[in-house]
Amino acid sequence: MTPNHRCDAIVVGAGPAGVAAAITMAKGGLKVCLIERGRLPGAKNLFGGVLYPHALAEVIPDYAERHPPFERPVTEQGYWLLSPDSVVRIMHKSVHYKTAPTGAYTALRARFDAWFAEQAVQAGVLLITKTTVTEVVRDARGRALGVATDRPEGLVQAPILVIAEGVNNLLTQSLGLAKGDLPPRYVALSVKEVLALPAAEIEARFGLAGADEGVAIDIFGDATLGLPGTAFIYTDAKAISIGVGLLLEELIVHNLKPYEILARFKAHPVVRPYLAGATVLEYGAHLIPEQGYDRMPDLVGDGVLIAGDAAAMVDAVHREGSNLAMTAGRMAGETALEAHRRGDFSAAFLRAYRTKLEESFVLKDLKQYRRMTDFLDSTPHVIGTYVDFMNEAALRYFTAQGMPKREMEGEILGLLRGRRSFFGIAHDMMKLLRGLRG
Amino acid sequence: MHTIVAIKQVPDTTHVRIDPETGTLIREGVPAVINPYDRHALEMAIRLKERFGGTVTVLTMGPPKAAEALVECVEQGADRAILLSDRKFGGADTLATAYVIAHAIAAIQVEDPADLLLFGKQAIDGDTAQVGPGVATRLAVPLITYAMRIESLDPATRTAIIHRRIEQGIEVLETTLPALLTVEKEIATIARAPLPNLVRAAHYRPETWDATTPVPFDPARIGIKGSATIVSKAFTPPRKEPGERMSVAESGLTRVVGQALQRLVTAGVLSSAPATAPRDESNA
Ligand SMILES: Cc1cc2nc3c(=O)[nH]c(=O)nc-3n(C[C@H](O)[C@H](O)[C@H](O)COP(=O)(O)OP(=O)(O)OC[C@H]3O[C@@H](n4cnc5c(N)ncnc54)[C@H](O)[C@@H]3O)c2cc1C
Ligand SMILES: Cc1cc2nc3c(=O)[nH]c(=O)nc-3n(C[C@H](O)[C@H](O)[C@H](O)COP(=O)(O)OP(=O)(O)OC[C@H]3O[C@@H](n4cnc5c(N)ncnc54)[C@H](O)[C@@H]3O)c2cc1C
Repeated sequence: MTPNHRCDAIVVGAGPAGVAAAITMAKGGLKVCLIERGRLPGAKNLFGGVLYPHALAEVIPDYAERHPPFERPVTEQGYWLLSPDSVVRIMHKSVHYKTAPTGAYTALRARFDAWFAEQAVQAGVLLITKTTVTEVVRDARGRALGVATDRPEGLVQAPILVIAEGVNNLLTQSLGLAKGDLPPRYVALSVKEVLALPAAEIEARFGLAGADEGVAIDIFGDATLGLPGTAFIYTDAKAISIGVGLLLEELIVHNLKPYEILARFKAHPVVRPYLAGATVLEYGAHLIPEQGYDRMPDLVGDGVLIAGDAAAMVDAVHREGSNLAMTAGRMAGETALEAHRRGDFSAAFLRAYRTKLEESFVLKDLKQYRRMTDFLDSTPHVIGTYVDFMNEAALRYFTAQGMPKREMEGEILGLLRGRRSFFGIAHDMMKLLRGLRG
Repeated sequence: MHTIVAIKQVPDTTHVRIDPETGTLIREGVPAVINPYDRHALEMAIRLKERFGGTVTVLTMGPPKAAEALVECVEQGADRAILLSDRKFGGADTLATAYVIAHAIAAIQVEDPADLLLFGKQAIDGDTAQVGPGVATRLAVPLITYAMRIESLDPATRTAIIHRRIEQGIEVLETTLPALLTVEKEIATIARAPLPNLVRAAHYRPETWDATTPVPFDPARIGIKGSATIVSKAFTPPRKEPGERMSVAESGLTRVVGQALQRLVTAGVLSSAPATAPRDESNA
């Protein structure tokens, strides 16, 4: 390989994982080349999105002074259990979200990724955009030497490579670290719209005191036609982010179009009033890898580390992904720094990266929820069944009909039994528990 | 071979809005791109550099943000980029713009005389196509507008043969160099920039010239003061109502033709309706 550019480390992909890796390595003194196919970092990216700054703080301790483009702090969050005509809300709002360093912010990726990548550039990272990495160049023994790009004179050489290419992990697959494309049962497809609305209007509709308050709602049940999946509504500064996501397999089996599901969700009698008069600013779709701990790609090869969505580091139970990606990116960067110090880029040495992740929340959480996708996959009815039951039970519970309360309770129990046998319920609960406990 | 290319950063036309109060374009928050014709002009300059060696200089007058456009030119292969940026340049029309660009080009040429000056045929936002000709006049160099092909160019004899688009066809002209060309897109196809250019551009900062240094521009001839254009009113023309529709499928051909002719008679276009011929409607 006669390279057109040489550096100490190459990072593929300027998402949360790649940028975190690039900053960590640049701060450690390496010459880093970060390659992104989008016109700007973030231009091609999309998430819900709630960002968790704990992971950001470990990459950029003084991030707050650098004015990250957060939309709103999340001061209220929870779940809506949506039936076709009703909703049970389980929401948590607390002043603690304001006094303690806030645990979460809503954000839009086009803005956030651009800011995050700018921090990398300021740390000395060479950012190359509008350029796709087409191939990992390897020697006869399979060790990574660098990458080829879709540009003339586009070979870049480095002894270590961090692949943070996101869910569509073609390079990871080409190295044999991931076994082919994800099967549809292990990948969710989300569609999202950003709807513009004046700040004051958002605050009035969601009961927010001002720009320093925000809501994050995850919605189950009718939003996804009772199928395994979630919908979300998050408040941005001057917009509402709204979306739905379902396992690809459910979409295929039931012949559903994601945009129609979103349109249906937006028209739901409970949802519609929040959106009245809002105009669509942008819309998009994106995949979420949900294959879980047991089917993750290998995380290391000779001269290669894989981080973020490319390695399926998504905790779908808590809609966390960007923080796992940033943490993994940072740890990949730290491992690359150690490899440079030792002059050892072998897969054997790079396994230290996997060990770091095992000791952190990243792999601990993924391990705990390893059965979650299987749980939903094997009991697809569960969400619709219980969500509808909760709504009907609530209606009975909150309605005075001159009926003795004992009878009402009996009726509610009857509603449940009518949907699912006693054993069925016990079975569901056990499976759910196993899904949650790991 | 030294080519100077003037480029303009323009709002992405798919996003442009008009301020309803002032009637001027709202440029705030609208994504910006390099004026499409200018990209092709730059590409032509790069092709000439590849063939004859030498350098390509790009310049633009615009806000600090226009530096992005210049960096993109360096990615494409420009060697030197100059940003003319100063609040005092603001509000310039074609008169003031041409004055500034002409004097800036003259200043560049003191150290490095140019063989060719390339401009876009027009900017897609202003659309006047006046800046290039205005600069050529001020610099007293030959002007060829709507250039679509450089058939030949000889830096030694300092001549070139240029094809330009005219309404009736193509005009082939021979010119001495330096000359100023305003170009069509066909002048050169845009090549994908090689990676080393992107590496260079990542570290490149364009030179910034303001209203006084290194060129002391005449304050009376720049910006809004130096502009002769007054925007008295800009408005969106009312949407034209769609015309009446008649359906052949519903009414049959004979009826439709008859009705259409009748309308023309009513409107005074025809004096009388000619007898309508087709009888067999199923053939319609
Ligand atoms: C609808 C939705 C909602 C979500 N909500 C949340 C949430 O609320 N909170 C949360 O924490 N997470 C959320 N996530 C998950 C989160 O977005 C991801 O886990 C996270 O973005 C992963 O980061 P990454 O850097 O690994 O990958 P990405 O963000 O996908 O970045 C990969 C980058 O690599 C680039 N790239 C890919 N291939 C190449 C190549 N060959 N050459 C050059 N560049 C390349 C891409 O253009 C992209 O910029 C959500 C995801 C979705 C889809
Ligand atoms: C009726 C009218 C309304 C106007 N309204 C506005 C307005 O709302 N807002 C506003 O900002 N301006 C306005 N202007 C000013 C004007 O549109 C331009 O800013 C400027 O004068 C350039 O003219 P043009 O865009 O028509 O360029 P053209 O003459 O069409 O451009 C031809 C070529 O000249 C070169 N060129 C043009 N401008 C530059 C530059 N700045 N730097 C380097 N090279 C350049 C490029 O190569 C370009 O392809 C208005 C002008 C008129 C006549």
